[in-house]
Formats: sequence, structure tokens, C-alpha cells
Amino acid sequence: MTHILLYTDTLSEGYIILITGLLIVFAGLLLLTVFFKYGLPIMLYIYKIITKGRDKKVKEISRKVNTDFTGEIAAAISVAIHLYLDEQHDDENAILTIKQARKLYSPWSSKIYGAYRNRL
Amino acid sequence: MKKVILIFGILSLLIFIKPVLGFSANSTNTTTSTTVSKTETSVDESFVSEAFDGIKHFYEFTGFANAQSGNLIMILVGIIFIYLGIKFDYEPLLLIPIGIGVIIGNIPFVPGNQTGIYETGSVLNYLYFGVVKGIYPPLIFLGIGAMTDFSSLIANPKLMLLGAAAQIGVFATFLGALYLGFNLPEAGAIGIIGGADGPTAIFLSSKLANGINVLADGTTVKNLIGPIAIAAYSYMALVPVIQPPVMKLLISKKERLIRMKPPRAVSQKEKMIFPIVALLLTTFISPSALPLLGMLFFGNLLKESGRTERLAETARTKLIDIITILLGVTVGASTQADIFITKDSMMIFGLGAISFVIATAGGLLFAKFMNLFLKGDDKINPLIGAAGVSAVPDSARVVHAEGLKADPHNYLLMHAMAPNVAGVIGSAIAAGIILSFLG
Repeated sequence: MTHILLYTDTLSEGYIILITGLLIVFAGLLLLTVFFKYGLPIMLYIYKIITKGRDKKVKEISRKVNTDFTGEIAAAISVAIHLYLDEQHDDENAILTIKQARKLYSPWSSKIYGAYRNRL
Repeated sequence: MKKVILIFGILSLLIFIKPVLGFSANSTNTTTSTTVSKTETSVDESFVSEAFDGIKHFYEFTGFANAQSGNLIMILVGIIFIYLGIKFDYEPLLLIPIGIGVIIGNIPFVPGNQTGIYETGSVLNYLYFGVVKGIYPPLIFLGIGAMTDFSSLIANPKLMLLGAAAQIGVFATFLGALYLGFNLPEAGAIGIIGGADGPTAIFLSSKLANGINVLADGTTVKNLIGPIAIAAYSYMALVPVIQPPVMKLLISKKERLIRMKPPRAVSQKEKMIFPIVALLLTTFISPSALPLLGMLFFGNLLKESGRTERLAETARTKLIDIITILLGVTVGASTQADIFITKDSMMIFGLGAISFVIATAGGLLFAKFMNLFLKGDDKINPLIGAAGVSAVPDSARVVHAEGLKADPHNYLLMHAMAPNVAGVIGSAIAAGIILSFLG
């Protein structure tokens, strides 16, 4: 950083950063887009060749493994499972009884502590 | 109770008896006894005045004596933050820690006792270290990575461009800050508010506008971490207020009704490849963003690998919670009135609001522009462009809500998540670019 930044220079440098910065951000994400649109299917295809050795044309392998299976179907299935699991209850005994508990003295239930509880 | 009274009685009796006994023991020498009584009276007098002095001294140390209007205003701001967080549920996980932090940071105190956040050696200063050195933001990104599902983005990669389009807010704000007279590094740090990403904003401002760096012409940059972080986080919380008017202005009723086809199912393999490839591509382009993007995709790989569920679970729950607590409180406390209430802060707040509007508009307009090239089923609903400002997942929710208002059966949330997470990546890249230009 040997150059001295003047006010006018600052603005022009600002414009340079603005343009190049935007271009780089776009280029970066465009690269990602292109890769996931075209690069990934090829990679998956190569992977498939390596693991299974089956001969197939690139065209035949589509990134869309199963176009019928959309996110909506997945959502419907998961809702169904969720509802099913939600309905399950463990069988509980319906007869409720209240047992008389025998009172034993304990400092925890002693009257003196109980009387001062509100004050503490 | 009786026992207590008895014990007190015996103790007080003993105390009273003791001088009596001592006096009786010294009674043989009267002269000494008089001197003793004299000194006692003088001690008595000085004790009263000393007690008053002590109380006065104590009062000088209290907040009441040191309070300035700035402190009181900031405390009020803190209370408003807490109120907004609780009452309106605007990002309470951020606003409540920040709000209480603002109050903590603005309790008036006497400087020099290692109390304040800007005093070296104070506890708050040590916690603030993570902000100043940019340690917390990458850790937050680790948690975000472990939380985020990139599948909607993988299913529809072109939506990634919307995340890039919204970054126009960053660069436009940068230019605006330059016009307002900030120098380059400061303007860069202010610009990143338009990225709508709190951790990124803190990261960049801690590198560029930290009050330590010296410019080429010999001036030191201002410390703008506090104002920038507060502006970024408060506008992120206000996304549900800022975005809808812009959407209404730019997107016609007909365009709002566009239905997008549901995203395809994405295989686990693609999800695993995504973080690695994205990490390589983005950090090769913008290496300065490595701490942020590296951690983001690391967290995502923990989630998607399927083998490190424990680590992913910690990263997205406990770790991010701890860091959020520390970050929120210290960022809030860094708004100490004498440092925070300046003209610069007000300008930053103004620029922040504009940057959010520009970013939203950039995303919306670019979505409309993309629609020119897309046909039929592939057309995108331009509303999701607004989700390109990161603010995960709030802006996606706003898009969803606006879409529902136009058509109650048009669910845009999944589609909006794609530009939303792309916005996170985009703003991190933008931060890296600004850092490499100006750092």
C-alpha cells in the first residue's frame, strides 16, 4: 500500500471495486450454477462407471433419477408417516385410582419448613 | 426462633461485657484510661465524617452520579430491542441478547476499574475479543452450515444467481458510504450491511473498521464494529417490515401468481458433493472469505456425510447457541454511548436501511430479468428474488407469506430457500472480495 489515497481517487477506486466485485460474485455463483447443472451429472456418471462398470451414454443418465418422485410426493409420504406415528399411543390402564400415601415425618415435609416457605 | 434469639442474646451480652471487663482491668491506671477515652471520641467523630465520605465516595461510583443522557438513550434503545423481540417475535434470539447487552454496556461507570467493554482486562473485553478478532462469525457459520439444507439449491442451480444479484446492495452501499465521506476500508465494512448477514458483517468490520488498522496516509480507521453489527442485526430483524413494500412496488399481481414446479428430489450423493465442490470453487475465487465459507461448508458436510451426526448436532445446537449468546451480549455492550452515539453511527443506520432496499430490489429485478429467458414451466416467481438477501430464513418466510397473500395455494418457501442460502454464499464471497481489495 504505497499509493496515497486521495478523495477523488477513493471514489474512482470505489467504482472499480463495485464493478469487479459484482462481476466476481456473479462469476463465482455462475460457476457453481454451471457446475451443478452440467458438471455434477457427469461426475455422477463417471462414478457410476467406476463402481458398476456398466456402459451407458451420458445422455441416458439423467440427473433426474426419478422425475415422478417430486418434493410434493416426499412431503405427502412424510406427512402420512408423521400422522401415523402421531396416532400411536401406548396402551394405558384406564382405571385411575388415588392411593392414600402414608405420611412419614421428614424434614422436607415438616410443618415448620412449610410455614416459612413463603417467607424465604 | 427461640434458639436464635437466645444465641443473639448471649452474643450481645458477651460483647457488652467485654469492654466492661477490659475497663475494669485498666481501672488501676486512671491517666491511661482518660487518654483512651479521648482517642475514642476523636475516632468517633472521624468515623462519622469518614462514613459520610465513604458514602459520598460510593455515590461517585454509582450509575446515578455518572449517568449521561447518551447512556439513558441507549438503555432505552436496549429496552425497545427486548420489547420488539418479545412482543413481535422479531428474531428474539438476536434482539434479546443484543438488547440486554446494550443495557449492560451503557450502565454508567467510573473508567479505570476494568469494568467497561473497551477497557483492557475487563471480563467483557475478553468476551469482546472474539468479535474484534473475528472469531465468533466463522463459528456461527459452522452452525449455519450444519443447519442448512442446500437441496433446493442443488435441484435448481440457476436460483443461485439470485443470491448474487442481491449482493448489488453491498456494493451500492459501499459506494454510498464513499460519497458520504467514509474512507475505503470503512465504506467496505459498511457496505456489507447490504449482505444482510450479521456474522459476515461483524467479520468484515472486525478486519477493516476495527480502530486499529492504519491507512496509507497515516490516519487510523474508526472502530465501527458496534454500529455496523447493530445495524445489520436490527435490519435483519426488520426484514418483515422492509421487504413487502419493495415487493409490492416492483412485482405485478400477475407475476406474483406464477407457480413454480416442485423441486426434484436430490440424492444424498449430490448433497455430499455439494459442500466439497462449493468450498473448492468459492474459496479459490475468493480466498479471503475462507474462514466463513470454509466453516459453512464444513458444517454442511458434517450434516450431509451421515457419519458425523453427533458433530453436526453439536454445531447446530449447543455450539451456535453459545456463540450467539456471547456474540449478542458483547455486540450489544459495544454500543457504549460515548463511543456509539456519533454522526457516523447515524449515517451507518441510514445507509443500512437503503442497502436492504437496494438488495431486495436487485434480487427482485434480476428474477424478472431471468424470467425473460425462461419459458413455460421453468419460469420463476419473481418474489423469490427478494430472498436473495441472506437473512436466513426470515426473508424466505417473508417471500412465502407474500406469495400466500396473492395465491393462498402457492407455497414458495422451498423455492425461496434456494436464493436465500445462495445469498449467504454470495455475501460471504462479496465480503472476501472487499477484504482482498481493501484489507
